[in-house]
Amino acid sequence: MNRPMLKTLLPWLLCLWMLAVIAGAFFYAPSAAGFKGESARIVFFHVPQAWVAVLAFCVNLVASIRFLRGRDPLDDARAAAAARLGLVFSVLATVTGSLFARVMWGSFWNWDPREVSIAILLLIYAAYFALREAVPDEERRASLAAAYAVLAFVTMPFLVFVVPRIYWSLHPDTIIGATGQLKFQMESRMRQVFLASLVGFTGLFVWLYTLDVRLARVRMARSRGGEE
Amino acid sequence: MIIFETVSGIRVEFRDVSKRFGARTVLSRVSGELSAGRVLVVAGPNGSGKSTLLNILAGLVRPSRGEVAYRNGEGPIARSRWFEHLGVAAPDMAVYEELSALENLTFFARLRRVDASRERLSALLERVGLPGREHGRTVGTYSSGMKQRVKLAQAVLHEPPVLLLDEPSSNLDAAGHETVAGLVAASRGRAAVAVATNDPREMAWADARIDLAL
Amino acid sequence: MRGSTLLSECLAVLGKEFTAELRSRVALNAIGLFAVTTLVVVAYQIGPYKIAEQDRPHVLAALLWIILFFAATSGLSRVFVKEEDSHTAKTLRLAARPAAVFAGKYLFNLILLVALDAVIVPLYCALMGYAVSGVAGLVLVLASGAVALAATTTIVAAIIARASGSSTLFAILTMPLVLPLLVILIQGTRAAAGSGEIGVVLPALRGIVSLAGVTLITSVYLFPVVWHE
Repeated sequence: MNRPMLKTLLPWLLCLWMLAVIAGAFFYAPSAAGFKGESARIVFFHVPQAWVAVLAFCVNLVASIRFLRGRDPLDDARAAAAARLGLVFSVLATVTGSLFARVMWGSFWNWDPREVSIAILLLIYAAYFALREAVPDEERRASLAAAYAVLAFVTMPFLVFVVPRIYWSLHPDTIIGATGQLKFQMESRMRQVFLASLVGFTGLFVWLYTLDVRLARVRMARSRGGEE
Repeated sequence: MIIFETVSGIRVEFRDVSKRFGARTVLSRVSGELSAGRVLVVAGPNGSGKSTLLNILAGLVRPSRGEVAYRNGEGPIARSRWFEHLGVAAPDMAVYEELSALENLTFFARLRRVDASRERLSALLERVGLPGREHGRTVGTYSSGMKQRVKLAQAVLHEPPVLLLDEPSSNLDAAGHETVAGLVAASRGRAAVAVATNDPREMAWADARIDLAL
Repeated sequence: MRGSTLLSECLAVLGKEFTAELRSRVALNAIGLFAVTTLVVVAYQIGPYKIAEQDRPHVLAALLWIILFFAATSGLSRVFVKEEDSHTAKTLRLAARPAAVFAGKYLFNLILLVALDAVIVPLYCALMGYAVSGVAGLVLVLASGAVALAATTTIVAAIIARASGSSTLFAILTMPLVLPLLVILIQGTRAAAGSGEIGVVLPALRGIVSLAGVTLITSVYLFPVVWHE
């Protein structure tokens, strides 16, 4: 099969795949024990969204470092594209997460370490775009944004690893500590749908990301073409 | 009087330098060379990119296309070390208003690791036309012409082998113009000098000249 | 040789910051005014007796860091913003190595923070009736906290000075980076207040010091890019 054909076919395949995941999440997978009603089914969407938010953060970091090394404007476009998707998916993960929290624990927000982490990820993405908005010069915008992305990335692990550990060492009886870790064993049909969803969401990210970068490439070529 | 004992061998070559800011082209394929003992005059109307060219030569702005290279006898100098060989005065380069003229020069001399003695720096300030009684006042209380003199002193304080002057006589009176002429004449013996100007008196210093168009 | 000259250049920058700041007092006024105002409002409206006994450790530690952090953010971006505003940035860029500039400005911010701690914390303890059992532990937490906060605020200040220079942008960019740090600092302060044993602040100290180290090392690599952009 040649490349252009594959390119038109892949999005349709992705579409079918996601439809299958949605159908599987509601009709194929059994409901999990120990959760209120059918609430556990949200895991098929919530966790992959959170995963994509983190994946986008990593892609953004790699593109930012590449920009700082080679100063290729396309790398800046890559970093921005990843951050845009990261922002969208971290919003989705936050919303689905608090819906689940409302059903399971009775309130939308419980200050579980994971909730705090995604909230900070959201803040970082927001700050990243606030910074980009504030710099009119393209080259300067690209390097300042890349520097901030690297700085944000190195601070993130401290939130995920340091804060919860100290938190629990002082408060061993937190309500969230026991249930917040999603430790339930997955039944095999659940696992199939869950993994399929992870693959699907990753594919969705790759597709949207490629579209965004292609668009940036066309814009760049056009502005350069108009110049000469 | 500063004594320039060494003749520097630093050359600055630039080839096909272009600069765009967004959709606006400021410089288009400019080439030239700065070498010891010669004065390059960059002329052209306002907005023609004189300051941008000097910024590119100073390593403060990256050209969109083209190359700039600093070479001494042994070979090219890394971009991150260009500043060590440079003295620059430009309208958008201020000195610290909260400090006195002497404190400013002491600060820059310490940064550049050159003799920061009071006698030498006072003599330098006298030489750019600031009488001794003014040296202790904070620069914020100076007139714009006096500030310009402090900026010039800052630029030549470490006897740089490459001197870039952007509109060096701006805000200066006739005596001030003579001061600049004296600095350029003294540097001509050993430094590579570039002057961006529209003043016909300063264009006369040129050994080479680049005319930028809008 | 190179190291010792770097130190003397860094001290030159630090000395310049001090002389200029003592004459203009822009950062000092901003930080001092903010700190004193919030402290007075908190002490007057809440005071030592309005918090229930079991809430005291949590509320007092958090309030202290809210005062310290926001006072700090009101002034610490000045080190770089004022260089851009007064057009001295280019002069400095052409006269000094980036490492010397960053180190000098970092030290200046660090000293401002330590001075802020030294004035506000005793006042806060007196006005709020905050009984601290582990004074040594608290001092360690405050000192390491200043080292870490100064690192983050200095590099973010360098970034926003090259952007719009607005203090709003400074707050937006600093917030997500220091939230983990603030949480650890509040926990450490609470631990120190509750017990005289040095050991209770060790987990917090480990977090703060490693965060400060990582931020400083990253900043040393990033600063030349930001500064020369």
